[in-house]
Amino acid sequence: MEQFTTVVGALNVSFLLNLKLFAITLLGAIPLGLVISFGSMCRFTPLRWLTRTVVWIIRGTPLMLQLYIIFFIPGMMLESGSPWPAGSSGRFLAASIMFIINYACYFSEIYRGGIQGVPVGQQEAGLVLGLTRRQIFFKVTLLQMVKRIVPPMGNEFITLVKDTSLANVISVQEIIWAGKAFFKTSHGYSGLMWPIFFTGVYFLAFSGVLTLLFDRLEKKLDYFK
Amino acid sequence: MSLLEVKGIEKRFGDTEVLKDISFSLEEGKALAIIGSSGSGKTTLLRCLNFLEKPDAGTISVRGKCIFDAADPATQRENEVRQKRLHFGLVFQSFNLFPQYTALENVTLAGKLRQDKSQWSAIERQGMELLERMGLGDRSGHYPHQLSGGQQQRVAIARALALQPDVLCFDEPTSALDPELTGEVLKVIRSLAEQDTTMIIVTHEMAFARDVADEVIFMDGGVIVEQGSAKEVIEHPAQERTRQFLARYAES
Repeated sequence: MEQFTTVVGALNVSFLLNLKLFAITLLGAIPLGLVISFGSMCRFTPLRWLTRTVVWIIRGTPLMLQLYIIFFIPGMMLESGSPWPAGSSGRFLAASIMFIINYACYFSEIYRGGIQGVPVGQQEAGLVLGLTRRQIFFKVTLLQMVKRIVPPMGNEFITLVKDTSLANVISVQEIIWAGKAFFKTSHGYSGLMWPIFFTGVYFLAFSGVLTLLFDRLEKKLDYFK
Repeated sequence: MSLLEVKGIEKRFGDTEVLKDISFSLEEGKALAIIGSSGSGKTTLLRCLNFLEKPDAGTISVRGKCIFDAADPATQRENEVRQKRLHFGLVFQSFNLFPQYTALENVTLAGKLRQDKSQWSAIERQGMELLERMGLGDRSGHYPHQLSGGQQQRVAIARALALQPDVLCFDEPTSALDPELTGEVLKVIRSLAEQDTTMIIVTHEMAFARDVADEVIFMDGGVIVEQGSAKEVIEHPAQERTRQFLARYAES
């Protein structure tokens, strides 16, 4: 029992790191994705192609590889050494930035689909009523787009919870890292196998909560078609 | 002086000339029907008047003031165009109501965005009056998907009227409706005509055009083939092409 309490305590602390990375990624990627989606729909062709190329590269390579690149490459290129702050805060910062960029690219494509899925007649109706493009986006298009993107965004959120574990490749001590540590020695215990498997409970519980929240959001937006 | 004066409008999409030298004028309080087969350019003409398409040549004047001149970029700045659009209201074939707003909110949205909060109760009162005129007083809190097509189109008419346009345009207002629902929309348009609303109606309803419109323009291949009083053009067309079109219509 004492063993269980100790392990759960350690896993709790490390899972907070997963949750923190989850929250920071969303805070950054939700707005950044919108900017990128505008770039990928821009009428100015060079900007559109540049944006789409970046999205292709980010979506076309493993996030794990991107984490290695953002954490190690700058230090190998700069004379002054790694620009990341030393220790765990630097590793967490590098992971946060890479997660934000990576998820923003995925979000941007979902947004683009959502915006382009709103019938052009909606925009025309707004124009004819003398609304500005800004008013049309915020008062007419946005909510219809949100309704369209709720199901795919739910998928992304759940994927993100699990992806936060990838940060352990640059030694962010998240929950899988903490679970694995019990293989050898951690918190006075050695050779424990069960903690790594037990981490699955955390992911399941949290994605369960997310599923419920998204169901509620979908219902809330059910008042219009 | 005519309320609306359109001169020499030309529009092409790529290599296709959609409108060729379109000129007509419209007196205040009159209703003009535009008839013609699909692809004749009627809808494009309406979209040009509402600045949804930019004509390649020609001028548009309202009450003697030129509001668009294809040769003068100063008349085409986005901010001014937005103001000038308000001379025209447009009712779409597919209604294009905003689904996330109730009938009343659809009618009042643009007004509320243009005025500050102190005016909002007046805007709402006016919106309710408009819905009542459309026979929808009891539907003001309904969302578009809870309304029939005919009711949706009547909300769209109220929405267009809310900004008090000089000219109210209809783009085939009953074409997306089941036959049993066209009557209620036509009735509303008819009553607007009786109240001397200046209107341009693109329509396939010949009997309606004859009864309600003061004037009719028949378009074919991007040009105005014939224009005149509604009775004249529909009952005694002068041009062979008009006769053929109306005969085809009578058959179907």
